[in-house]
Amino acid sequence: MARHVIIGAGTAGWNAITTLRELDKGGSEIILVSEEAPYSRMVLPYYLAQSIGESHVYTASSSRLAELKVETRIGQRAEQIDSAAKKLVLEGGGEIEYDNLLIATGSSPLKAPVPGADGDNVHSFWTLSQAQTVTAGLRKEARVAVIGAGFISFTILNALVNRGAILTVVELESRILPRMVDETGATIVEKWLAERGVVVRTATKLSAIEDKNGAKLLKFENGPDLEADLVIMATGIRPNIEWTRSSGIEINSGILVDDHCRTNIPNIFAAGDIAEGPDIVTGRKAVHAIEPTAMLHGRIAAANMAGDDTAFAGSLLMNIVDVLDLEIASFGAWDDPEAEAFEAVQPDRPAFRKLLFRGGRVVGAVILGKTRDIWTTNDVGMLKGLVYTGVDLSDWKDHLRHNPFDVKRAFLAAGTAGQLLSKTVLGRPSVPAGEIAISS
Amino acid sequence: MKVLKIIPDRCTGCMRCDLACSYEQTGTFQPSKSVIRISSFEGHTSYAPYTCLQCDEAWCLTACPVEAIGISPVGAKVVADDICVGCKLCTIACPYGTMFYDIDTHKAVKCDLCGGKPACVEVCPTEAIVYEDAEQADWVGPFAAERTKAPAGPLAGVS
Ligand SMILES: Cc1cc2nc3c(=O)[nH]c(=O)nc-3n(C[C@H](O)[C@H](O)[C@H](O)COP(=O)(O)OP(=O)(O)OC[C@H]3O[C@@H](n4cnc5c(N)ncnc54)[C@H](O)[C@@H]3O)c2cc1C
Repeated sequence: MARHVIIGAGTAGWNAITTLRELDKGGSEIILVSEEAPYSRMVLPYYLAQSIGESHVYTASSSRLAELKVETRIGQRAEQIDSAAKKLVLEGGGEIEYDNLLIATGSSPLKAPVPGADGDNVHSFWTLSQAQTVTAGLRKEARVAVIGAGFISFTILNALVNRGAILTVVELESRILPRMVDETGATIVEKWLAERGVVVRTATKLSAIEDKNGAKLLKFENGPDLEADLVIMATGIRPNIEWTRSSGIEINSGILVDDHCRTNIPNIFAAGDIAEGPDIVTGRKAVHAIEPTAMLHGRIAAANMAGDDTAFAGSLLMNIVDVLDLEIASFGAWDDPEAEAFEAVQPDRPAFRKLLFRGGRVVGAVILGKTRDIWTTNDVGMLKGLVYTGVDLSDWKDHLRHNPFDVKRAFLAAGTAGQLLSKTVLGRPSVPAGEIAISS
Repeated sequence: MKVLKIIPDRCTGCMRCDLACSYEQTGTFQPSKSVIRISSFEGHTSYAPYTCLQCDEAWCLTACPVEAIGISPVGAKVVADDICVGCKLCTIACPYGTMFYDIDTHKAVKCDLCGGKPACVEVCPTEAIVYEDAEQADWVGPFAAERTKAPAGPLAGVS
């Protein structure tokens, strides 16, 4: 019986486990080695909002893993790979032999390297344990400083505001969400936040965090000091690759994988935030560090570990975030400088669209609008479909140049749905994870 | 499997399917709450409804981080409201654009085939939507292409 060793119980690891069991129904050995128990980080903002309890963030309990015939080493860290002997070495001793190894160790948060960054009441918001600390410690009307105005800060902004925090968001770059929207979009979001009492300070560099009368005093290279009760650092992440360095695995920003999620070493696969794999729009390899890519990689890697020969066309960069009922989403090469950009802003409301064309196809898109404006959530999926299929929109290009908000008829008339029917991932019907049948 | 087959040539644009759908799904007659949505062509002279194809390898189902999406006995992909956290990942994962979000409930919403008795089919006066055994197909695409290209040149139908 083949033995699959999976390192990391996050999104990629969990999707690999369910896919393996979907395919082999228990006919292989799976050993899961993970520092943390299986849970979904992207659900943590809802836990912070207290709209769900802690149990809701877990993807699998220990009994569920046992049902799926997964042997677990939770709380243990992988330390090294001996690929010649096909062995994984664990921290503190212990070795596990493998037939196939999946590296899915995700990423870790970075803190701004300033004095005081490791002090009390200064937290990252990346792990469940950090989320527990922040969730339990957050008082109503607490003054909260969020350092970094990237995607992760924005995922927790709603929860902080809804729990009554008085919020200041500080960003080093000249605008918020620099990796998700352009200047026009960022300006709309900044205004929306200001109207809702959230202070945004862009082009501001934190230099130190000091203690003052039981609170925190933030010092900046430019601008006035800021007092806060709690500081959340969301200043970037980096893939957890250090421990793999001695293994001979090819690494760039992340672990390089091909269109089967294989590394350069036989029988070693990588998936999720740690992997640098093909991007469907650019064709180049990239670390996406997003949930959909971790799911896709996990499923592709597992299919190949199970012995199928399954390639994927590349993963699509995409994000959606709800900022106090303003929806922001971007897809693909939304900032491609060589693309033709068609954009429009509605004068009377926060609404913005941008479509990026290369030739006759859309390679990227940005959508921004009130959640209550029907077209906002009506169109997000279709924009994904257009970018994902790269369907020929030559006939529609002129129309969309002047009406970038009017995508539905273009989507329909271009036959996008027809193309999508054959552009599947594993090419087999989905099985809800709870219904996977294990043969005894 | 029985699917919602759409024959757009028969559609009169009467909006009954939207209304019935929103009523069945949310208890209000409100096209904006419907999960079958009509598009108009050629200066509001031809119409076509569009909804979830219940694709086999379901993007919404695999995308959901909390396993809130299951498969009903009639093969519809359905959202369990008590599990959905409202993260909208399914709305960007579904490339067909048929996964919606209800701002009042903060949950994802989609076509659930009304448990096997689709309201849109029951109310359609011209049988433009039928519920029968068929392969999933792009029911609306060829019609939309035809109605936006002919005969006054490209995009004649776009108003
Ligand atoms: C607050 C928050 C909100 C987010 N919101 C979104 C969102 O809305 N949309 C989106 O696309 N993405 C979002 N993300 C990002 C998303 O969660 C990640 O992209 C995703 O979790 C990546 O999955 P992964 O399996 O690669 O890594 P992870 O989920 O990080 O899992 C890594 C696993 O490896 C384990 N591990 C690490 N090192 C070792 C080791 N040496 N040995 C053994 N085990 C190890 C960890 O304990 C963990 O179990 C969010 C993240 C956070 C923190």
